[in-house]
Formats: sequence, C-alpha cells, structure tokens
Amino acid sequence: MSFREKNRHVGIVGIGETRFSSHREDVNQPEMIREAVKDALDDAGLTMDDIDCVVHGNMELFEMVHQPDLWHTLGTGARGKDAFRLTTGGTTGGTLVGAADNLVASGMYDTVLAIGFEKLQEGHTTGGITNMADPLWARKLQSGALTDSAAVKAIAEFGADRAKRVAMLYRIIMDKHACLNPNSHRAFGLDWDQMEDLMENSPPLIGDLRLIHMCSQSDGACAMILSCEKKAKQQCDHPVWIRDHITVHREETLNLCVNHYPNETTHRFAARHLYERNGITAPLDYFDVFEMYDPSAWWGADWIRDFFLLEGDEHYRLIEEKEIMGGGKMPINPSGGVLAANPIGATAMVRVAEAAKQVRGNAGPHQIPGTVNHAIASSFGGTMWTILMMLEKELNW
Amino acid sequence: MKNSEESDSYIIHGKLALPYTYFAGRTGSTFLTTLRDHRTIMGVKCTTCNRVFVPPRQTCERCMADIRSQWVTVSNRGTVVNHTVIRYQDKHLPRKPPFVLAMILLKGADTPMAHILEGVNPDRVEKGMEVTAVFSPATTNTLLDIDHFEPVAEAP
Amino acid sequence: MEEEMNVKVSDSLDTMADQELIVLRKTISVDQKFATGPVMGKFLTALKDKRILAIQCPECGRLQSPPREMCAICRVRNREWVEIGPRGEMRMMEYCYYSSPDPLTGESRETPYGAIGILLDGCQKEEVFWHLLRPEHLEMVEMGIVMGDRITRGSRLRPVWAEERSGSIDDIKYFEIDEQAR
Repeated sequence: MSFREKNRHVGIVGIGETRFSSHREDVNQPEMIREAVKDALDDAGLTMDDIDCVVHGNMELFEMVHQPDLWHTLGTGARGKDAFRLTTGGTTGGTLVGAADNLVASGMYDTVLAIGFEKLQEGHTTGGITNMADPLWARKLQSGALTDSAAVKAIAEFGADRAKRVAMLYRIIMDKHACLNPNSHRAFGLDWDQMEDLMENSPPLIGDLRLIHMCSQSDGACAMILSCEKKAKQQCDHPVWIRDHITVHREETLNLCVNHYPNETTHRFAARHLYERNGITAPLDYFDVFEMYDPSAWWGADWIRDFFLLEGDEHYRLIEEKEIMGGGKMPINPSGGVLAANPIGATAMVRVAEAAKQVRGNAGPHQIPGTVNHAIASSFGGTMWTILMMLEKELNW
Repeated sequence: MKNSEESDSYIIHGKLALPYTYFAGRTGSTFLTTLRDHRTIMGVKCTTCNRVFVPPRQTCERCMADIRSQWVTVSNRGTVVNHTVIRYQDKHLPRKPPFVLAMILLKGADTPMAHILEGVNPDRVEKGMEVTAVFSPATTNTLLDIDHFEPVAEAP
Repeated sequence: MEEEMNVKVSDSLDTMADQELIVLRKTISVDQKFATGPVMGKFLTALKDKRILAIQCPECGRLQSPPREMCAICRVRNREWVEIGPRGEMRMMEYCYYSSPDPLTGESRETPYGAIGILLDGCQKEEVFWHLLRPEHLEMVEMGIVMGDRITRGSRLRPVWAEERSGSIDDIKYFEIDEQAR
C-alpha cells in the first residue's frame, strides 16, 4: 500500500452529537442535523463563519430521499460554502472524518465540518441494505446486514457453550457501558444473572444471532470540526490529534458465505498495516481505549482478536476477565458502542467522536478512569470494509 | 470454452419497492395542520435577515438563527414569478400533461413556493400574474391540501 | 415512480402530546432494467440448459460463480469458463427467522428460509455458490466447516430446476438434499 505522511497535522476542535433514539417525530432530517452541528460549533466556540468546507453523508436508500446534501443545507449550514457528500455504507461516518482529515491535511481548507446522520425510522434498514446487493443474484438472497456467520465460526472454533457465553457476556458489558452514556438509544440495565435467560429466550433472527445480540435502528446525527495545527491551537486548548487513518475495502460481494478458516479479514489487514507504519508493536499495550463499530455482539467479540492482532483465545480471555470494561486492560466502547445506538450514517463518526472525548477526558458519566493518551476507533461496512483512526492527546510522535 | 461475447448481454427487468416514512417535524407539522384546518398559509420570519420563509423552516439558511417560533401568516394570494410547462406523462406527476408548475410569491412572503397553476392556458402564463390558492376538499396532510393556484378573476 | 400513500398522524408520543405531528407512510416503487453484460449474461444463459458455469482467474486459478469479469485479488481479466456442479456440499446456511422485504414487492418474505453457500463439485475453499435451500429440508441439513486441519463434511445437495427457465436466478428453484449421495 502506498502511504504518504500528512502535509500538516490535523486536530479535532469540536464534537457534537444528538441524543440517539428510535423515533424523532419532532424533527425532520435537516432539523435533527442542526442539533449536532450546533452542539459541535458550541463545543468548539466557533460559528459557521469559521467553517471553510462541509462534508456530509449518510447511507443511500435508508430514508428514501435522494441528494439530501442539497435540502439539508438548512441544517448543515453549507449555504455558500464548499461542500461534499460522501456515502460508503456503514463506514460512512469514518469516511467523513477521514475525508475531512485529508482535506485539512492537504492544505485545501483550514477548518472542515464533517456531519453524519441517519433517521432509520424513516426507511427500512434491512430492505435498504438488501437492495444494495447485486440485483441479478444477491438481492434475492441477502437479508440485509443480518448474518449468522460470526456465530458459526466462533462455535466451530471454541464450542457452542463458550462461544455463546462470551457473546452474551460481551453484550451485557456493552449494556452496562450504555447505561452510563446519556445519549444511548438502548440501555436495558442487563445484569450478569440474565445470561442464561437471554441465551435461551431472546428471539432468534438468523441462526444463533438473536435480537439481543444485534444493534438497533436509531435516529441521530454526529458532527465534528477538524482544523489544521495552527488554527486548532488558536481555536482550542486541547485539540485531539488525528495521527493516522487507514481505509481498507474488499469488493468480493458474492462469495462471503464460506466456512473455511482462517482467513485474513480487512480488520486484521488494516490493523497490521496501520501499526506497522506507525511503529506500534504491541497495540494492546499502546492504546488506552478502543471505540469499535460492533454491529452485533458476535462480531464485536470476534473482532477484538483482529484489531489487536491477537492469536488463539486471547480475545475471549479479555472478555471473560472483563478486561474490556473501564479500568481494564483495554476498555472497549465505554459509550456502549453500536449496540447502544446505531444511526448508521453517523455511527462510525460517533466511534471517533467518543474516542476523542475519552482523550479529552470530558466524555461525561462514561469517562473511563485514568489518562487516555492514545485511542483508536474503527468503522465497519459493506462487504467487510474497515476504517481505523488513531487519535493522540499530545503532538509528540 | 470460448470467451464471452457481447451478444451474451441482455436485459433483465427488475423492480425496487421499499416502504418508508417521512416525519414533517414540529415546524412542518404546524404549517400543514394550519393549512388543513384553517386554510391559512404560514411562514416564519428571520428578524435578523428580515425575510419571511414559506414553507417555513426551523433555521434561517443565511444566518443560521433559530427562527422556529417567529410565525407569520401570509396571504393566500400572490404573483407568479416564474413557471414551467410539464409536457411529458409520468405516473409520479400530480396532473396529466400539459400542466403548469409555477413559482408563486405569496403576499407577505420573501421566498416563492412551487405549486400547480390551473385555470389558464399554459401558453398564456405570464410573470406577475396574480393568483390565489384553491384548497382541496379532501386532506392528504401534505402541501397538496392546496389543490392548485388559479388566476384571480378580473373584477366584473 | 409510483407511490402508494397513506397518511397517519402520530398521536402516541407522550412527550409530544401538545402537538399533532404529521407522518407520511409511503412505498417507493421503481421499475428497473439491468444489463447483464456479457459475462453474467453467459452464466445466466447457461442456466436455461441446466448448466452452472464459473469463470477462472488466469493467475491464481480461482473460480467465481456467479462470474465476475475480473479477479479482484489479482486485478486481471478472467477469460476461461469451466462447468461446475451442479451437485455439491453444503458449507454455510443463514437460517433466517427475520422477515426482510422482497425487493420486488416491498412485502415481507416468508420465513423461515435458508440462504446457503454450496461448494459445488469442481470448486474448493471459498468458491461457494449462493442460493436457497428447499424449505422442507431446513432442519435436515448439516453445514460443512474447515477450521485449519479440522474438517466437517456438510450435506450433499443438488439443484431443483424450474420448469420454465428464462436465464435468471429463478431458473434454480432451490437446492435440496441429494438422496443418491446416501
């Protein structure tokens, strides 16, 4: 992979999120977006006059309205400014931050506002995803983003009992995190003694993927303001620096249903390349927090191994010993992650936003103990696409 | 086996059908219910930019001020500022062609609103023509609760 | 674009009880036409003759079916066609309880159904073929899994062809357990 260092450093100076919810009948799309934009501007102490460019995105086919970038101007504030619309499926939010990072690093714009949104209640999420599949073959077969494949793999490798327990343990840990995050859409208050009951009685969706394992369909928006080093230091006492990001796509849409392991996922591929080029040899020691795009508990539990380049059952032991909670070896998703809220076009940006808040130390009730110097956030989408974003508290690498 | 030829390509007919929902939000709902229940057209005014927006919106696109509470009533009458004649037939269009879509600036508003113009030969529509709203007998809870606009009758 | 419209007024929101909020429920329905292109066209046409074709990468040799013009891994144009199957081994099943909408109608699909990956004879590793399982056989099949050195064999399957075939995915009704294999 060719890779060049940035022309200049880029810092996060403003973060805005709406609350996440299953229903926002009280606002239309631009009005909801406006809430996140205003929150980000207020957070940064800036106005739209300070913004040079707006990048805006969501997932196609979800709200059944097209070119939302045009009529969302009322919410995005893009009137009379350079603006881009981006859409890359579930990774959209990560792509938006990555694009804003590149736009600022390139020198084209000093300050860029990135906005991701989704009002999933307005469309049909699974229907929308299914209709993105190849129309001559896969559309008839696909069931949206719902899949049993991670469960099949985990059960084959670790046995049904351990695999199902770890997936549910992961789910309950995420719910405990979600209960601390005031923006959560779903925070049930699950407890450890509900494991057996949920494993047996949560309604099945596909195979061993049950309703409780799967992320929600949420409404919400996220906005982030990125500035070049010079501006960031003027605008903000403690910008969070984006050290590097990597995007890996795989376009193999037809041959995903395989039970032939092991194979290198885009997650492991992305992590391997990102760490190599940044000289990180022990990612589990280096990073202080990880915000993962975890669409289901089965995927979340499985992917820890790939993102930290672990082997065997190391990732399972992290979960079983609850080392992924605040204060543990590697706190994962103090926000509750995607299981707590999934407004898809915003979701991947929320991962970066939440990781950045942990670095700033002002995440709120779900701030983890200790100093967070190094954070990482992932995006997931499409046919196993990955974006990883590395954040730093200090400009010292 | 031989390579594929261009002649192997053919057309498959498909369809995309998906249910969806649209929420008008508070501001849009106030506009639509007032239209339906009182046959009154409302806008919002940005006092900073001194402009009245119809249909209304929560924020002023110019200064980004929150203007959601600054309601004003505008007239059901206005003037045509621009128009086009739809001459093709398509199942999603609200009328059979030919019909006129006009940009109508209501008295009291600063932004024109697109709507159907009837009661005039499409070739005779002129800029500045005075028109008035004709309300629909049945509600759809949409902007089509105004069925169409038509020219104001000349005084007898 | 044809839109069936019915308008519902939301009145159940306790927090919003002070105002009637307008909600429009619609189905967007758009007629579409897809050109198969020569590669997919050749594959689909062969289904009319009850033959399943795969295209082979000239560099890595892997088979793709349904075929793609390119091998995305080697970035070269695929040229050679081979016939595979039509029988094979069941490798993966998505046992779907969740009812997603049929893209053609917007209506919910009948559940449960099994979307399966089949390793057709002549293929190996990830070269699986994606189709449906005969609904009556949902509870009777076994998945095959290769986990390093550990190999589990899946059920033997055969296609059930549609009486009338037009060169589309529907030319195969579904795959069913191949009794002859027992």
